[in-house]
Amino acid sequence: MLKKETYKKGMKTLKKSFALLLICMMILTACGSNSGSKNTADTGNTGSKSNEAKEITIWAWDPAFNIAALEEAKKTYAAINPDVKVNIIEYAQSDIIQKLNTGLNSGTTKGLPNIVLIEDYRAQGFLQSYKDSFTDLSNSIKGTDFADYKSGPTSLDGKQYGIPFDSGVTGLYVRTDYLEQAGYKLSDLQNIDWKQYIEIGKKVKEKTGKALITLDPNDLGIIRMMIQSAGSWYLTEDGKTPNLANNEALKQAFEVYKELMDSNVANVHADWSQFVAALNNGDVASVPTGNWITASIKAEATQSGKWGIAPLPTLPGNDKSVHASNLGGSSWYVMNVDGADTAADFMAKTFGSDVELYQKLLTDIGVIGTFKAAASGEAYSQANDFFGGQKVVTDFAAWTEQIPSVNYGIHTYAIEDILIVEMQNFLNGKEIDKVLSDAQAQAESQIK
Amino acid sequence: MRAIMERFKFYSLFIKIFIVMVVSIIAVAISASWTTVRMSEKLFMETFSITNSKVINQIKANFESFHYSIVTATNNTQLSGTIKSFLTEEDSDSTRVFRSFYNMTTQMKRIQSNVDAYQVGIKIMGQNGRSYSTNTNNLLMTDEELRNHKITINTMADPKRLMYQFYQEKSTPTSSQEAVIVASKSLMERTTGDTYGSLYFTIHEKAFQSFYSSMVSGGNDVAILNKDGLIVSSNQSELLGQKADDLLQDAKDIQEKGLDYKNVTFRDKDVIVLADYLSSYDFYIVNLIDKKTALGQMVDTKMVALICSAIVIVALIVVFLISRKLTRSLTLLTRQMSKITERNFHNYITVTGSFEFQELGHAYNYMLDELNDYVERLVQTQKEQRNAELAALQQQINPHFLYNTLSSVKFLVQQGSKEKAVHTIHALISLLQNALSNVSETITVTQELENLKSYVFINHVRYGERIRVNFFIAPDTIDYHVPKLIIQPFIENAFFHGFNKKSEGYIHVLISQESGSLLCEVVDNGDGMESGGAELSLSNESKRQLFTGIGIKNVHDRIILLYGDEYGVTIISKVNEGTTIKIRLPLINT
Repeated sequence: MLKKETYKKGMKTLKKSFALLLICMMILTACGSNSGSKNTADTGNTGSKSNEAKEITIWAWDPAFNIAALEEAKKTYAAINPDVKVNIIEYAQSDIIQKLNTGLNSGTTKGLPNIVLIEDYRAQGFLQSYKDSFTDLSNSIKGTDFADYKSGPTSLDGKQYGIPFDSGVTGLYVRTDYLEQAGYKLSDLQNIDWKQYIEIGKKVKEKTGKALITLDPNDLGIIRMMIQSAGSWYLTEDGKTPNLANNEALKQAFEVYKELMDSNVANVHADWSQFVAALNNGDVASVPTGNWITASIKAEATQSGKWGIAPLPTLPGNDKSVHASNLGGSSWYVMNVDGADTAADFMAKTFGSDVELYQKLLTDIGVIGTFKAAASGEAYSQANDFFGGQKVVTDFAAWTEQIPSVNYGIHTYAIEDILIVEMQNFLNGKEIDKVLSDAQAQAESQIK
Repeated sequence: MRAIMERFKFYSLFIKIFIVMVVSIIAVAISASWTTVRMSEKLFMETFSITNSKVINQIKANFESFHYSIVTATNNTQLSGTIKSFLTEEDSDSTRVFRSFYNMTTQMKRIQSNVDAYQVGIKIMGQNGRSYSTNTNNLLMTDEELRNHKITINTMADPKRLMYQFYQEKSTPTSSQEAVIVASKSLMERTTGDTYGSLYFTIHEKAFQSFYSSMVSGGNDVAILNKDGLIVSSNQSELLGQKADDLLQDAKDIQEKGLDYKNVTFRDKDVIVLADYLSSYDFYIVNLIDKKTALGQMVDTKMVALICSAIVIVALIVVFLISRKLTRSLTLLTRQMSKITERNFHNYITVTGSFEFQELGHAYNYMLDELNDYVERLVQTQKEQRNAELAALQQQINPHFLYNTLSSVKFLVQQGSKEKAVHTIHALISLLQNALSNVSETITVTQELENLKSYVFINHVRYGERIRVNFFIAPDTIDYHVPKLIIQPFIENAFFHGFNKKSEGYIHVLISQESGSLLCEVVDNGDGMESGGAELSLSNESKRQLFTGIGIKNVHDRIILLYGDEYGVTIISKVNEGTTIKIRLPLINT
């Protein structure tokens, strides 16, 4: 009996150990599959965290112009500091504005780039609203190293926030062949006002049937050019108060605009492609605009030698108006996120100081920078065959120095939206003083 | 080789157990992990397809709401007189054109707000050559190119339909081949049926992806196919613009047969395909789930296999050790037991091993004990039986002997030799006294000698003294003990059979000590026998003449029984020369 008992016990322990073995096996199998899934889940997160300061991100638009310039700068900087990884991301300008607004409004720096390109007209809007989010670069660069008119948009309270980039210096691009048909030469356009310009246009239209200018009813760029040439702007010097009702320059500009219409020398376009098409198809005899149009004009190689660039006409009857103005142009801003120091260093060593880089940008891409020291280089004094051997860069550089500095403020585009509507009223016969005072009233009620 | 086989024979139990265990463990491990993997795969696939079909519905809703916005924008455009006049009027003076452009753009901005939620560009193009686009980035071709493009031709061919077409920029030399989806509709005068222009909504394929991008993940891809099987949008950019007729066929199958999903091979990959039809677009949404990737995230087969094999190996080692330990004692036991035939019952085994085998060993040893005991007792019993037999025989004093002896005494008394008669009776008494006492007792050589002398005396009285008997006793042997009546049968034998032919002779009785044993010799010079060493033929022995029942035949057996094999009787006999009988006995002092 006793023996049987012990035998049974022995069997029991044997069974137990077998059961244990099986359980162990199952648990291990389960663990195995668990750990497997964990592993795969983990792999996604690695990689992005390492060395944040060694990696900077830049947002910009226009692959042919700004992005291309960045790629050059990246190459240059790689020789100086090869450890830093520079990510260049292209977005449409409107996307950048939207993303910046979203990011800055939410108060988090997450998702924002280290460096961002901002158009000069909008720069103050961002700087004044989100001053703390941008890095003061006063220690890295000197505002005085760049064209004076750039200091308005890029600085705030005496601190330099932006690295001025491309120039928006304007010129009057003209078809010399059409001019010649109408009996004019490029030299006849050197010192004219807009009235004289319209007179020439009438002749050209008569002789060639071509329009003098092409205009977009929704873009008052030409008005902006005109008033800045007279040192005036939509806003007063403080950048906040609307300056429309008693703005003499603006009034004169509106009148010139109406005259362009009334004299029937204007072509109309509604978008960028139509604008460029009008130039390339030879539909218009002239284009007063920023120098960045050069690339688009040169795209039509068959017109080589048929273009010339004259200084911008002045506002008739306005003493302050000069033969130089600005349209467009943008600057780089360093944001207060991780890696700001690296980003500032990147900017200071490339766009902030590198003369050779600017030479390269000019020859390879056609970027006219605003860095004063680079304006003396060889590339700047080269003759341009497309423009009949004219030393266009030298000319632009000369005009750049004349551009009157204005404070674009933070409401340029808001006011322009009002003016676009009022311009239609004006063209339809509304009194100019009424037009401007109505605009003033609207602006004052909208902008506070 | 044979030795090895022989060796293996003892391990056959172990080998069998081990093989069975190995096979079953491996089978269990393989089947368990296989089933687990299969089941989880199946479950995963089921849930995946269920959730994915739900997500597809959501995607569909996204597409539908986008389509709704486009339809609204289209209607607004068609209803707008401003846009119609912009697209139909002829060029006039700057101011009027300018106003027309301005009004149109204002109108277009309003229409654009219908699709503001999406990154959509709108383009209108009129029969008068005017055009407008809200976002220049969308269609990278000139008006002239667009006018002659397949997109426009298709639109014009079916003026009542809003159609979605795929366009991939190929003219740009740069790598960024922008793919766009173009929704187009011809602008038609309702009353007359004249088309006065066309309307295009362009959405970048990347923006199009946002309708479904939330659902895609590694191994879970989405492709949008048009009715020609062209992939117009996919999160896998390399698929973009590719023809996938097989996929289209699968999508149609799923749609027509109402399948939940379908398993197919696409681009050398096993995939699960889910599909739905977007009627307003005439597109198919196809969801491709790469089994390998999707399952790879879920079940790490390699890991499972690795762990299983590790467990199997551990289990095998454990099983090997345990079963070896179990069978080892059995093997030893078997080996020891197998030797039992070679030796005797004293081959006890060493008790080792597990409890069971210890018990078995104990039982076996116990059995041997019992067996030995039994055998011993059997031998003892036989001895006793033999002794009893001898005693019985010994006590059978032949009545003839008594009769003859008493007759002889009677004659002696009649003859008057009273002296001799007394002597004879005296010898008889002494003889009977010894013979009748306990047969197992031993007596000294002196006493035995006395018996012999008495017997010889009686014989001489009866048959005369023609056979003389001489005793030669070594003095150092007289105190040793011998079994009773051990020599007497041989003298008797010599008396009655040794001298049948010869009339007279002698019998010598010699007792001496030789190499540790007592040697008694009975030597006669009588007739002798033919067969030297053979059993004495005593069959015709006359019972009447014997003193007791103990014949010489029994003597040898009796000695062996008492003292062992090395003792006993040997006979040397030669015809006409006599017989020598040697009785070897141990030296017994008490």
